[in-house]
Amino acid sequence: MKGLTLSRNQVRDTWRNVTGNYSHWLSFVLLLLVAVIVSPSFLTWNNITNQFVQGAIVGICAMGMSLIISAGMIDLSVGSTVALISGFGVMVLNSTHSIPLAFLFCLGAGILGGLINGLLVTKGRIAPFIVTLATMSAWRSVINQMGQGGPFTVDKDMYAPFRAIAAGRILSIPHLMLFLIFITVLTGLLMSKTKFGTYVYAVGSNQQAARLSGINVNRVKTLIFTYAGMLYGLAAFLLASRLTSIQAASAGMGYEMDAIAAVAIGGTSMDGGRGKIIGTFLGVLMLRIINTVLIMANVPPFLNGLVTGVIIIVAVLAQSNKKGK
Amino acid sequence: MILEMKNISKSFGAVQALKDVSFSVGSKEIHGLLGENGAGKTTLMNVLAGTFGPDAGTIEIDGNIIEGMTPKKAAQLKIRFIHQELNLCNDLTVFQNMFLGEEFTKQGWMVDKKREMEQAQKVLDSMNSGIDAHTIVAELDTAQKQMVEIARALLFSSELIIMDEPTTALNNQEIEKLFSIMERLKDEGVSFIYISHKMPEIFRICDRYTVLRDGLFIKSGFIRDIDEHQATELLIGKSFVQAHIKDGIKAALTKEVVLKAANLSGRSFSNVSFELHRGEILVCTGLQGSGTDELATSLFGATMLTGGTLETQSGPLAMHDIKAVMRRGIAMVPRNRKERGILPDLSIRNNNSLAYFVSKHTGLLVNKNEEKQRFDASQKRLGIKVGSDLDVITSLSGGNQQKVILSRWLELDADVYIMDNPTQGIDVGAKFSIYKLIVELAAQGKGVIVFTSEYPEIHQLADRCLVLYKGKPAAMLSRDEISEVAIMEYSTGTRGEVLN
Repeated sequence: MKGLTLSRNQVRDTWRNVTGNYSHWLSFVLLLLVAVIVSPSFLTWNNITNQFVQGAIVGICAMGMSLIISAGMIDLSVGSTVALISGFGVMVLNSTHSIPLAFLFCLGAGILGGLINGLLVTKGRIAPFIVTLATMSAWRSVINQMGQGGPFTVDKDMYAPFRAIAAGRILSIPHLMLFLIFITVLTGLLMSKTKFGTYVYAVGSNQQAARLSGINVNRVKTLIFTYAGMLYGLAAFLLASRLTSIQAASAGMGYEMDAIAAVAIGGTSMDGGRGKIIGTFLGVLMLRIINTVLIMANVPPFLNGLVTGVIIIVAVLAQSNKKGK
Repeated sequence: MILEMKNISKSFGAVQALKDVSFSVGSKEIHGLLGENGAGKTTLMNVLAGTFGPDAGTIEIDGNIIEGMTPKKAAQLKIRFIHQELNLCNDLTVFQNMFLGEEFTKQGWMVDKKREMEQAQKVLDSMNSGIDAHTIVAELDTAQKQMVEIARALLFSSELIIMDEPTTALNNQEIEKLFSIMERLKDEGVSFIYISHKMPEIFRICDRYTVLRDGLFIKSGFIRDIDEHQATELLIGKSFVQAHIKDGIKAALTKEVVLKAANLSGRSFSNVSFELHRGEILVCTGLQGSGTDELATSLFGATMLTGGTLETQSGPLAMHDIKAVMRRGIAMVPRNRKERGILPDLSIRNNNSLAYFVSKHTGLLVNKNEEKQRFDASQKRLGIKVGSDLDVITSLSGGNQQKVILSRWLELDADVYIMDNPTQGIDVGAKFSIYKLIVELAAQGKGVIVFTSEYPEIHQLADRCLVLYKGKPAAMLSRDEISEVAIMEYSTGTRGEVLN
C-alpha cells in the first residue's frame, strides 16, 4: 500500500511540475495533436514554414511585449507603432532607394517610439496603460493623415529586392522564420543570461524591493520600452517588405491583442515577475495553429477576435488558479 | 456606560495572546491601557469591538452579559474603535466618510446628502474642529483626519470610544486640542479607552490605568497613585536577559570614523548627528512615529533628506542615488521583508544576487556557476536551509528568507551596514543567528547601525544607543548607560526632552 501511495505522490508531483512549469509545452503539444487530427497534412514542411511566416511579424512584437508584461506593465500601442513606422519606412525607401537606410530608419524610429512610451511612464509617472493607449491613438492618426486614405506603396524599381527580404528563403527556410527564431534566441539570452533580465523580473515582482536593492527602476522600464520599440521597428520593416503596400488604416491592426495573447498563453504572469521567452514563442505558434484549425473548421474569420479574447481570459484564469493553490 | 470584561482568554494557534485578563471601565472615565508591543492590548480591544470572539471569558455592559459580540453589535451598543491606522477614503468628502456604510437615505434608496451634511457639520462644529464637512479628505492634514475619525465616532452618539495610539502623527498643539475635546466629551458622559506608549500623555489625560504584559493582567489603578517611573517598571516587568552574544566574540571597536552624519533632517526627524566608528554597533531606537523609520531609509538615499550631510572616509555622499550610495560602501537591509525585501517571483539565487549585480558585477553575461558559488558561500556562513537555490524565495520560512536578504547585502562587503529591523517577524532561533552575524560583522571592522524597537535586541547588540523622541535625538547612551528603563523613559519623553 505504502509503495502505491508513494508512486501516486510522485505521479502527482510530476504532473504538477508538468502543468506548472511546462504548461506551455503541454498545451502546445495538445493543440498540435488537435491540428493533426483535424488535418493530417498539418505537419508538412510547407505548412509548418507557412505557420512561421504568418506568425513571425506579430511574434517579433510579442517578444517585446513579453518583457513589458514581465515587468508588470502593458503596451497597447504595438499595432499603431508598426503601422506608423512601416508607412514612413516605405517613404524613406522610395526617396533614398536604399534598403539599409530604410532598415536603419525603422529601427531608429522604433527605438524613439519606445523611448517616448518609456519616458512618459517613468518621468511622467503615467500608468503604462494610459500612455500606450494615447500613443496608440496618436500614431494611427498621424499615419492616416500622411496616407490620406491611400496606401504607401514601394516604387517599382525597389519592389523586387525589397520584397525578397521578407519573402525569400534560404535552403527552403523562409527568412521570416529565421528572423523570428533569431529574435527569440536574442531575447531569451537577454532575459536568462544577463543581469538586465533579472532586473526586469525583479521590477515586475516587487518594485519597492528592487529599488531598495539599488536597481534603477525607471531606467529598467525605459530600456524595456526601448528594446520593445526596436523590435516593433524591425517588425514594421518586415511588414513593409512582405506587403510592399501599407494601408495606413489597417496595417498592424490588432497586433497588440495577438502579442498579449501570445504572452498570456505562453505562461508569463500578467501581474509581472515571472515569464519565459520560449513560452511566448510557443504562444505565437499556438495562436497560428488555433487560427488554422478555425479556418479548417469553417469558422468565419470575423470571429478571430472573439477567439483571441477568449484565449487571453482562459490563459489568465489558468494562471490565477495556479496561484490560488 | 460601565464596561466589565472578565477572565478573557484568546489564543492564535500556539500563541496565547490573552490569558485570563479582566478589565473594567467606569462611566465618564478615560482609561489608559498600557503595555509593550505584543502585550495583548490590541487583541483585548478587538475582542471588545467584536472583531473576533474570545476563547473564554465574558463581556458585560451596564451589568448585562453580551453574548457573541460582533462589530455591528458593538456599534449598536455605542462602542467605537478608532484604529491606529486611519480608515478614511481620501477621495471622498468628510461627510461621506463619516457616514460610510451607514448612509441616511430617503425613499429607502437615495442617499440623503443634505441631512448627512448637516449632521456631520453639527458634530464637527461641536468639536470646534474648524473642518468643513464638504472638504475632500485628501486635503486634510493628519491631525484633521484624526478629528474626522473621532467625529465619526461621535456621529452615532458613542458612549465608549477606543483610541489606539491616536497621537502618533500629531504634534503637541494638535495633541492638546484632541485632549480638550476628550475632556469635554467626558463631561458629557462619554468614556474612553486610551492606548498609548507615551507616558506624559497617559499622565496628562487618563483617570485610571491598566497594565498588560505578555497577555497577562498586571495591575489596575488610579493614575494619581503612581508616577511615570513606576508605570514604566510595571510595563516591562523583570526582563529576562539571555546569555550575551557579544561576550563570545572579540570586539574590534576603534576610533576610526566610517560614517559621519551632521544635522540630518527629513520630514519626520530633524537635527540628527552621529559618528559611526569602525567595529561599532550603533543602535537607533524610538517609538513608532519617532522618525526612526524615515531616518533609516534616508541614510541609504532611499528617502530624500531635507537637510544635513553624510560623509564617509572618502568624502560627502550624494544622497539621491541608491546605487551611488551602495558603491561608496553602504548597504541596507530594509525593514518589512515582505514589502521591501523579497522579490517573491524570483529564485533564491536571484534574490541573493541583486545587490551584487547592481554594485559589483561587470561584463555582459552572468556566469551561473559563479552566481551559485556566491550563494553557496553565504548559505554556509548564515546557515540558510534551502532545498534548491533555484526554488522561489517564498518557499522558505520567514527566518530563512531574511537570511537570504542579509546575504544579498553581505555580497557587497560594504563598510557600513544599516539594518532596519533585521529580525522583524522571525523566530527566536533565526533571530539569534542574525544577532551573531551582526556582532561578527562589527568584529570584522564594519560599522553597523541597527534600527530596532525591541529591548533584548538593543541589549544584545548595542555599543551605543541613539534614542529618538518625536523626531529629535533624546539621548545617545553608552553601553553602560543602556537599560530598558532608561530607553523607555527617553523614548516616551519622560526623561530628557531634547538632546543638544
